[in-house]
Amino acid sequence: MAHIMVVDDDELIRVFLASLLRHVGYSVTEAENGQTCLQKIKTCAVDLVITDIFMPEMDGFYLLTELHRASPDSRMIAISGGYKSVTSQLTLQMAKAFGAIDTIAKPFKTAMVIQQVAKALQMANNQTEPGEAS
Amino acid sequence: MIPATETAPVPARNGPQGEISGKAGALNTQKLDEMQQELGPSFLNVIERFQAGLLTRPEKIRQAILANDSDQVAVESHSLKSVCRQIGLYRMGEMAATLESIGYSGQLEGANLLVEQLMQAGRSAHHELAKYCR
Repeated sequence: MAHIMVVDDDELIRVFLASLLRHVGYSVTEAENGQTCLQKIKTCAVDLVITDIFMPEMDGFYLLTELHRASPDSRMIAISGGYKSVTSQLTLQMAKAFGAIDTIAKPFKTAMVIQQVAKALQMANNQTEPGEAS
Repeated sequence: MIPATETAPVPARNGPQGEISGKAGALNTQKLDEMQQELGPSFLNVIERFQAGLLTRPEKIRQAILANDSDQVAVESHSLKSVCRQIGLYRMGEMAATLESIGYSGQLEGANLLVEQLMQAGRSAHHELAKYCR
């Protein structure tokens, strides 16, 4: 079972997303910001991180950078509704530059999220050598 | 270019998605039915959290207005906007978006009246959502 970390400071959105992914069959760990995510990842390996961008403590850009530095093969999807005058499109475009393999704009369509998660995990599996798959 | 990420469209005021015309707190029943299917047993937990947020988040905006804290008005309104749009309360989301803009402008004149309307819409939506919690 693939393990996904959902990072969002908004509890309602985080719980919604986590519940959706659990219902589909994934194992999910939640974190309320980038700092908590990095702490949790030290003790539990994850196959995919889905992170919001604008969060207190440590934002998604910094988290993407840290995860990419720790493991260039990290699979990360950025999610954002934009902030202030920064549109979600621009935010997510920037997130790709920071290492996100895919992006999701808020409000999201659940079917689209499930499809993108499956695609990201499939990409990860394709890059895993035979015998290394978990 | 950003890969295709689909954003939920804002329905017409008398739109086909189950939203009742003229009421900012009216539920998008089609959206909620979809959520119920997508979340399975977790739906109740998620919807109860959303339901509580429809009362507490407008109140936080009101408190920020009373404190003349425009930054906090923007932050809380942004958060509520995101949640409303996600569960299909599009017009409540628009009201929150307006308050967010007011917060960013630093000029809170007129915010009192709007937040009262928002709170009324939140109470209405909270009441309607109770039907889904049975």
